[in-house]
Order: sequence, then structure tokens, then C-alpha cells
Amino acid sequence: MPVIDVNHVTKEFRLGQLTDLKQTLLHGLDRLRGIPVPVRSPFKALDDVNFSVKEGEVLGIIGSNGAGKSTLLKILARITTPTSGSVSVRSAVAPLIEVGAGLIGDLSGRENIYLNGAILGMHQAQIRKKFDDIVAFAELEEFIDTPIKRYSSGMTVRLGFSIATCVDAGILIVDEVLAVGDLAFQRKCFDRMEDMIKRQGKTVLLVSHNVRQVQRLCSRVLLLAHGNIVADGPAPAVCNLFYERSDEKIKTNLRQRTDNVSSGEIELLDAYLLDDTGEVTDRLIYQADVTVAIVFEAYAEMTSPTFAVGLQTTDFVYLSTPLTGDLYKGRTLKPGIHTLNCRISRLPLLPGVYSLNFRMNGGEFQRVVFHSENVGHFQVKSLNSRSDSMLEGLFELDAAWQLDVGTSETNRSVGSSTKSAVEQTEGTARDCRI
Amino acid sequence: MRLLTPLIGRSEATHAGSVEMVDLGVIRRAVGAEDDNKDARVRHGRCFASRRSTINGRAAMVQVVKDLYQYRELIAVLAWKQIIVRYKQSYLGLAWAILKPVTLMLVFTLLNSLIGITSGDIPYPVISYTALLAWIFFQESTSDGVVSVVSNAQLIRKIYFPREIFPLTGVVTKLVEFAINALILAGLMAFFGLAPSASIIWVPLLLIYIILASLTIALAGAALNVFYRDVGAALPIILQLMMYASPVIYPMSLVKQKLLVEQAAGPWSDVLYRLYTINPLAGIIDAFQRTILYGQHPDLELMWPGILVTAVLLPISYAAFKHAERHFADIA
Repeated sequence: MPVIDVNHVTKEFRLGQLTDLKQTLLHGLDRLRGIPVPVRSPFKALDDVNFSVKEGEVLGIIGSNGAGKSTLLKILARITTPTSGSVSVRSAVAPLIEVGAGLIGDLSGRENIYLNGAILGMHQAQIRKKFDDIVAFAELEEFIDTPIKRYSSGMTVRLGFSIATCVDAGILIVDEVLAVGDLAFQRKCFDRMEDMIKRQGKTVLLVSHNVRQVQRLCSRVLLLAHGNIVADGPAPAVCNLFYERSDEKIKTNLRQRTDNVSSGEIELLDAYLLDDTGEVTDRLIYQADVTVAIVFEAYAEMTSPTFAVGLQTTDFVYLSTPLTGDLYKGRTLKPGIHTLNCRISRLPLLPGVYSLNFRMNGGEFQRVVFHSENVGHFQVKSLNSRSDSMLEGLFELDAAWQLDVGTSETNRSVGSSTKSAVEQTEGTARDCRI
Repeated sequence: MRLLTPLIGRSEATHAGSVEMVDLGVIRRAVGAEDDNKDARVRHGRCFASRRSTINGRAAMVQVVKDLYQYRELIAVLAWKQIIVRYKQSYLGLAWAILKPVTLMLVFTLLNSLIGITSGDIPYPVISYTALLAWIFFQESTSDGVVSVVSNAQLIRKIYFPREIFPLTGVVTKLVEFAINALILAGLMAFFGLAPSASIIWVPLLLIYIILASLTIALAGAALNVFYRDVGAALPIILQLMMYASPVIYPMSLVKQKLLVEQAAGPWSDVLYRLYTINPLAGIIDAFQRTILYGQHPDLELMWPGILVTAVLLPISYAAFKHAERHFADIA
């Protein structure tokens, strides 16, 4: 039996201003007299959404801004109600939405723990029991009796997160709160989340723009767009679909983009990829040879140009940046249209969507002549199922494996690499290469 | 339209429609004939099965009280927060609570020395302070209750619990201030050599009546204030007028004397008197003075119109609050 059931849920908001009392009364009067009154057009934040979540399932919800993610979570947490449709939730819910929103500046950390705990539905006895844990996790031992208006913003959210995750509830609803505090604390939050999921077996609904995080934590992902569920399935597939879709958006944004750093000496005309047959493409086969071609026009002479073509994920993790270095040192680039080709053989990137950045430096001091963070994007596809199964990660390492199998008489576990086991297997020539 | 990519499979459970929910305390409002959707869709449907059962508009008051009892800890903590926050950085702290009734009592006493209202055996300051004790508790919990939802908008957007907790918290907070003011009254009575009689046991019952009367205004007012802040702005004026329409400055006996005995408004006197008693505070304040100062029982003949009005309006006010509740997070 699913623990969360969402049936045909639609949530509408009316656009525009709320009318004031006078307007409402006048409109009411008009309605009575049969005169049509202006209707504010509705905006569908969620449009006929259906899904259910099983107990212990970890469901990620991704989508661009305004897709309806937070509205959906708010409906599940009963904060707001659907315009139509029904929702059933068969367990207590701990919502981690706007962590720290209920904290009161005038109260001390200690007082806030009791207050916020009560707001989140904990009993005072429970809070007393968990008090030390909460303080220790938030790393606020010294400051616990200080009014939290004197806290730094990081301290406040740490306290909020620490209280919220202590709530004993079967379902955890997490809205974009893992990115609190410094890196060390984010790591802690993430670990606590993983602990809740993997060891305590809680049902978790997670909304985040950090798709990599979603992919790591969730077994199943919903992709929302304009209030509709666009995809619902295993995390890697849905996340890749999301990358592709947001890449389309990034691409269209790029066309109007003017924030490329440029000295005006060159203009980027085109950037495209060629596969090993010389065809222009943006879909590459896994481990194929590829040539990145950059077409630009130089308006002035440029001495010692250097070029860099960088590969990055769509969420801006730089993977590699091939540089020309000293290749064109001492040479001069004449004005005119040029094409730069950068050939990469056996591209080791795993299936997914990636984008390219391009930088050109030149002159005596190697100043930046042109720099664009995103000149194009491409998708790597797989031909066989082997690379599909390696979706965890970004590129492939040339790894060789060897498994030394122990003998059954000594009853050693498979893969033990003690010296005697190695000797024994070598003797029987039972090397096992995978 | 939904656009499903072939590589992604949908979970089968998504379409598992009919689930047993009857035992979970669920309400589903049936589709009206005006529903333009062809499919039998549940409109405004809410079915939740958390640890507490869903409140039905028609559910008995007992159920409401039971539900709220579950949240007693939260109410207590929120009230404690209100008090702490209000007085934390002040030197006089809770002593500020007595400032209002004491000042008003002094002003009324000064005023009375000019116009000379006869107060019988009991000194006027004690009479007016007793009236103010009841009145200020009513006034403050009402005005606190009306703005409570809007001022807690931040919490409302963050987490769910029954929203009537906010007006109730206002009442509980004021109950603490009431207790402090009651101590002042005790001191005042001791000063004038007055001892309370056994009829003081009526006071808790009267307090509950004040709370219910206050919630009648606060619940509907709080809901309306979410949509129209005009309510919050108008309230102090309305309450001010209500004070003059209650026997705070003058004793109830004077009203009776003027309208019932002297028939001061001619043929309208009896009607005016009834209208006057519709205000629950008329009966409450009189009963406070009777039970605490005079050792009498409350005058039920005077109180029944107010009780009736409260009994009729409170459920309506509560229903209106619950009806508006679902929009709070979107609008407040």
C-alpha cells in the first residue's frame, strides 16, 4: 500500500492583485444584479498530477524554476490544499521547508529548540531527550544560551536543520535545504540524510536544484515542468533527461547572451562538433573520436594566440581543458575568418550531456581576448549496455581487473588476497580476469 | 499534455486508484452538479490520515476540543514564546501587563469623582478594576486573536497544524496577564478591607465564557483579516466602542435603573435594554462584580441573550475560519 497517494491534483493560483474590500463588495453587488465582473485569470501551478510513493522510497523531484515542485511539497505537507484532486498521506510528515523560518530572534538557541521542536510536532519530553544531539549536530554548544539574533546566518540555519531532522516522522519532505552552512556542514547534512534514508528506512521526498545530489540520494525521480509530470522513473535516466532539457534552455539563452568576455578583437561565428566521418553532429557515440571546430573572425592582428577548449558538465563541473599552450608562440594571427579544430580521440566521457567552453588569449601578456562559458553542447550516447551500466560517474578509466579465487579447502572468502591464496590459485592457473 | 519519453518507465503504483480510506477519518466532498469536469473528480478533496483525525465542519464540539487537547503542548509553548518575546528586553517585564488596567482604573476614578456615579458600599476603584479585569482580558485576547494568523504568516507557510491554534494561543497568553491582574485586584480588595465570598467559584466558568465570546470574534476576524487587512485596522475602534457599550465605566445597576425603572427612552426602553444585554460583556462584567465583590450569583436573566448569541455565532465563526483556513498559506 503506497504511503503517499496523489490523485489528479491541480493547484491554481489567481494572477494579479487581491481586490480590496470595497472592490469585493462592489463586485458582489454586481454579481447579484447579474452584471459580469472581471475574473482574474488562473495560473496552474500543478496540472492534474498523479503519482504514489511506497514506504521507504526515496523520491527526488526536479524541474526548472516554477515547475511546481515546492507547491507539490506544500500540498503533501498540508500547508496548502489542492484546488481539485485528492492527496492521502498515511504517516506523520516532517517538513523541512524553509528551515529556520520559525526561529525567533529574541529567544536563545535553547529556547528556540523547545519552541521549534513543538512547532514541528515533537513533545517536550522528546525534545529534552534529543536536546544534546541537536546542539551537538548544530555545533552550537558555546552559543546555546545566546539570543539567535546574534547568530550568524550559517549558525541559524544549522540550528534549524538540526531541529528539523530530529523529528520522528515516517515521511521527510525536504525542500532545497541541503545547501545550508559551510561545506563541512553540508557534508554532515548530506550524511544525516543518507543515514535517514539507508538505515532508518524513511520515506523521503527531496526537492533540489542540485541534480547530482538528487541522483545520488534518490532511487526514483519525478521531473516536473509547468505543473506536469514529464518523466517518472529511475534517477539516472530522468536526471539525464533533465540535463538535456535544461541544456536546450541554456542554448536558447545563449543566443541572446551578451556576457561573453570579449575584447572586440575577435567575434565567435560558429562552434560545432564533427564525428569521425566528418559530419556535423551534437550526438556522439561513446568513445568515438570527435573534432571540436570553432569558427571566428579576427578583426586585428594578434601575436602568440593561445586557445583553450574546455569540457564541462551542464552543472559546471570542469572536466578537462585542452590548451594550445606554446603551439602558436611567436606567430601572428592575421585578420580574417579562421577555423580552429581540436581533435579528441576516443572521448572517454560516459553517456550524458556536456557542454563546451572556449577561451582565447593573445598578445605579449596573454590577455583574455575572448571567453565564453558555453559555446555549445553535445550528448554522448551509448551503443551497448555496458556503458549504460556505468552511469555513475563522468568518464571511464582504463581499468584492468584481477580476481584471485581462494581454494575451497581453506574455506576462505572469494577475493581474499592473502599470499597463500594467491600462490594456490597461481598453481592451478585459475586467474580470473573480468 | 504529458510527454513521456520511452526510455523511462512509469511506476505501476501510480494508477492504483481505489484505496481503503474509510477507517482513516477521511472527508471527501462530492462533486457538485456545477462541476464542469466530465470525470467524477473529487473537488476540494482532502483525505489525510495523520495521527489526528480530520475535522469535519459538522463534527461535534467535543471532537474539536479533543483535537485541540492533542495540541495543548504546542499552545503552551507558543503562549510562553509570546510572553517571553514581549517582555524579554524590558526592565519591568510582566509588570507592564498591569499598567493598562491600573491606569484606566485611575482615570475612571478621577472621572467618577467629577460625575459621581453611586457605587454603593463598594469603593468605585474596586468596582471599576473588577470590570476592567474582565474587559481587558476580553479585549486583548480578541485583538490578539484577530491579527494572530497574519502575524504568524511565516509559520503558516512552513508547517501545518490546525490554524485555530493561533487565536487560541492569544487567549492563553492573555490568561497569564489576567492572572497577574487578578492578583492586583486581590491586593486592592485587601486594601479596602473586602473579602471574597464562596460565590467566587463562578469565576472560572465566567472565564470560559469570556474566552468563547472572544473566540467568536477572533476566529472570523482572523480569517477575514487574512483577506482584508481592513479588519485588523478597524478592530481597535470597534472594541473601543464596545467598551462604552459595556458596563465598564458605569455599573450595570445604573443601566437597569435608567431603562427598566425610569424608562428613560420612553416606549423603547425595554427593547434598548434587551439590545444592551445581547453584548455578552454586559452580563460577564456584571457577573464578575456580583460574584467577586457582592457574594451573589450571576444574574442569568441578564446573561441569557449574550449566551444565546455566543452559542449561535461561535460555531458559525469557527466554520468560517476552517473554511478559509486552506487559503491561509497562499494569501497570508
